[in-house]
Amino acid sequence: MCLSLGCSSPHNPLNCIVPPHMLRVMALRGDDKTARMARSLLKQNAALRDERAEHVSPPPPAQDGGTFAPHAVSPAEGLCCPDRRIHDGDGKAALPGRLVRAEGDDATGDADVDLAYDGAGQVFSLFADEYGRNSLDGAGMPLIATVRHRRNYNNAFWNGDQMAYGTGDGEVFRTFLELSVIGHEMAHGVIQHSGGLIYENQSGALNESIADVFGALSLQRSLGQQIHDADWLVGRGILGPGINGVALRSMKAPGTAYADDLLGQDPQPWHMDHFVTTTEDNGGVHINSGIPNHAFYLFCNYIGGKSWELPGQVWYRALQQLNNPMASFQQWADQTMDAVTAIAGRGTIEAVLLRRAWKLVGIAI
Amino acid sequence: MIIDITAQGGFGGITAAAMKKTIDVDQQPRQMQQELCDAFEPRELQRLTRTPCPDCADRLTYRITVTEGQENPQVFTLREDQLPPEMLDLIDQM
Ligand SMILES: [Zn+2]
Repeated sequence: MCLSLGCSSPHNPLNCIVPPHMLRVMALRGDDKTARMARSLLKQNAALRDERAEHVSPPPPAQDGGTFAPHAVSPAEGLCCPDRRIHDGDGKAALPGRLVRAEGDDATGDADVDLAYDGAGQVFSLFADEYGRNSLDGAGMPLIATVRHRRNYNNAFWNGDQMAYGTGDGEVFRTFLELSVIGHEMAHGVIQHSGGLIYENQSGALNESIADVFGALSLQRSLGQQIHDADWLVGRGILGPGINGVALRSMKAPGTAYADDLLGQDPQPWHMDHFVTTTEDNGGVHINSGIPNHAFYLFCNYIGGKSWELPGQVWYRALQQLNNPMASFQQWADQTMDAVTAIAGRGTIEAVLLRRAWKLVGIAI
Repeated sequence: MIIDITAQGGFGGITAAAMKKTIDVDQQPRQMQQELCDAFEPRELQRLTRTPCPDCADRLTYRITVTEGQENPQVFTLREDQLPPEMLDLIDQM
C-alpha cells in the first residue's frame, strides 16, 4: 500500500512505514506533534493519489450482485482525517456560534468543547476506518458542532448541517456530551446523506434506531468492548442526579432505561406486539425505535465479537442500499438480510441468526 | 395577552423533559411586552408554520396558545427549526 502512495518524502519516514489507517488513528489519538505530522502525511498521500488518478483509467464498476442506491457512497478515495469545528453557543439559539476549537487546535480545557471535539473524531474514525466513509456526506464535509446551545436546553440535535448540544437543565438532564449521543447525532447526518429516512412513523423510528446503532458502535469501538461486555445503553449517565434511571434508552432491554416519578417509565417496546401508535413525537419515532434496536442487539448477541465489525457492516451496507425513504420495519429487515447475504453469503450462520433476531422482535423474513 | 407554550419531542422523546410556560404579557416590563407582542403576533406565527423543515431529527415541537382578551385562544404547532433564533432566545428568557 505504501508503494502505491509513492515515497516522495524522504524526510518523513512515517510516510512509507505507516499505513493510512494507522495514520488516521495517530491523527485522532496521538499527542499534538504526532497528530499534526500524521495529518500532514495523510494530506500528502491524498494529493499523491489524486495525482496518480489523473494518469490511470477509472476502475470498472463493482460486481457485487447488486447496484448501490443513488445516494450510496463508495469507499472514499483520498480519505484523510476529520475537519472538526467546535463552536460555543454561549447559551443562545443562533447557530453555529463562536468558533472555539478547530481541527488540530490544542485541547481547550473546557470539558464540553473537548468532549465534542474528541467525540466527533471517534465517530469520524468509525465510519472512515470501518466502512470507508469520508465524513458524514462521504465527501469530507466539516464536522461542525455547537456546545452550550440555548439556555438549560434539554436536547441535542442534527439540523441538516451540524450538531448542537444543550447543557441540560441539571434536573432532567445533566449533559448531552456523551459518545453514544454524539454518535447518534452524527449518524443522522450519515442517514441524511445516504438517501434519508422520512422522520415520521416507521421510517422515522428506523432513522432513530440506525442513529442509536451507530451511536452505540462508536462508544463500544472507542472502549474496545466485545459485544458481551457492552451495556448497550444510549446516553448512559446523561440523566439528572435525581432521576431514577441509568440512561435514555436500552438496546438490550428496551423499556427499562428509567422508571421515574417525573419521567414515568421508559416507553420503548422490544416487540411488534407492543408497537405504539401515536401522533406525538412524529409518530413515536423515539419509542418504536426500540424494536429495530433490539433486533440489532440480538443479532450482535448471537454473533459475538465486535459489534462494529460484521453487524455494523451489515447495517451500514443496508443503509447504503436501501433507496427507500419511507421504508417500513419489514422492508428494512429485508434489506439487512440482503446485506448479510452479500457480506457473509446465502444460508450462512450469520444469515440464519439475523433472520432469528428479526423473528424474535416479531418481524418474519 | 396570555401565551402558553408546551414542547415535546427532542432527542430524549421525553415529554416531561420539555418545558411548559405560561406568561401574562400585560404583567411584563414595557420593553418585554413589546418584544413578546411582536414575536407572538398570531399572523406572524401563522406565517412561520409554513416554513419548510427539511431535516427535523430530534427537534422539539412547540405548541403555542395565544389568548387575547375575550377572544378564542389561537393554537399554533411549530417545530423548533421554524422559529427564528431570537424567538427561541425569548422563549428561554420567559
Ligand atoms: Zn435522533
